[in-house]
Amino acid sequence: MDGKLSITDVIAKRMQWLTARQNVLTKNIANADTPNYIPRDLKDGSFTRALSRQSQPIRPAATNSSHIQGVSLRDPDGRAREQEELYETAPAGNAVVIEEQLVNMTQNQTDFQTMTQLYRKHVAMIRMALKGGSA
Amino acid sequence: MDLFKTLHIAASGMRAQGTRLRVIAENVANAESLAQTPGGQPYRRKLVSFANAMDRELGAETVRVRKIMTDKSEFSRAYQPGHPAADDDGYVLRPNVNTLIEMTDMREAQRSYEANLKAIEASRSMLQKTLQILS
Repeated sequence: MDGKLSITDVIAKRMQWLTARQNVLTKNIANADTPNYIPRDLKDGSFTRALSRQSQPIRPAATNSSHIQGVSLRDPDGRAREQEELYETAPAGNAVVIEEQLVNMTQNQTDFQTMTQLYRKHVAMIRMALKGGSA
Repeated sequence: MDLFKTLHIAASGMRAQGTRLRVIAENVANAESLAQTPGGQPYRRKLVSFANAMDRELGAETVRVRKIMTDKSEFSRAYQPGHPAADDDGYVLRPNVNTLIEMTDMREAQRSYEANLKAIEASRSMLQKTLQILS
């Protein structure tokens, strides 16, 4: 599609991002009682940057069977930053507020649903075009 | 697939909370466990501490129980001259378990467990939404 991002591409990227955020939020909830744990989140602004950037890290090619393919030790969602505004911090240094995380998660879920619905709509439109508008 | 990863992360959180519940149950069950011999030590309360751990196989940060420690706080004393564990003054050392504290701890563990469960439900519904695109 003439070098521009097609709508399906954009939706897929957005879903990828939402999945990554879901990952981060789940981690926050799982660590709701871990001492000195600061909750993390993905910044929405990074989405545009993420679009222009390839999501897979560059790896050296294995040209010989004895080459070892290294595993990236970097956190797969290393772009997640610690939250700046903390609601409250427990004496043990834990700053996870489960309610806040659950709200974020619900929002994430709704966004995801929006994306899948958009996709379905898009496919339905293509289908309609193919059928000749009889629907 | 990242969404499957979130299931693993949430499961690790649930496992950690489960261990915490087990330790709390031990504390409550042993709230009256006294020594058998004079000057002996009664049951000492146990504490659970969580830590963030990188699961390399999974490529995600999970949570695990770091250590089960003992509570260093002092034992309370009760005047029971007839008890086999009573000292010369007739006092028996009692476990440093406060059932009220254990109950609030238990509630907290329960809530954290439920939050992890909610995270799994959210991830599952997101996966389902993706699959619905196919239908």
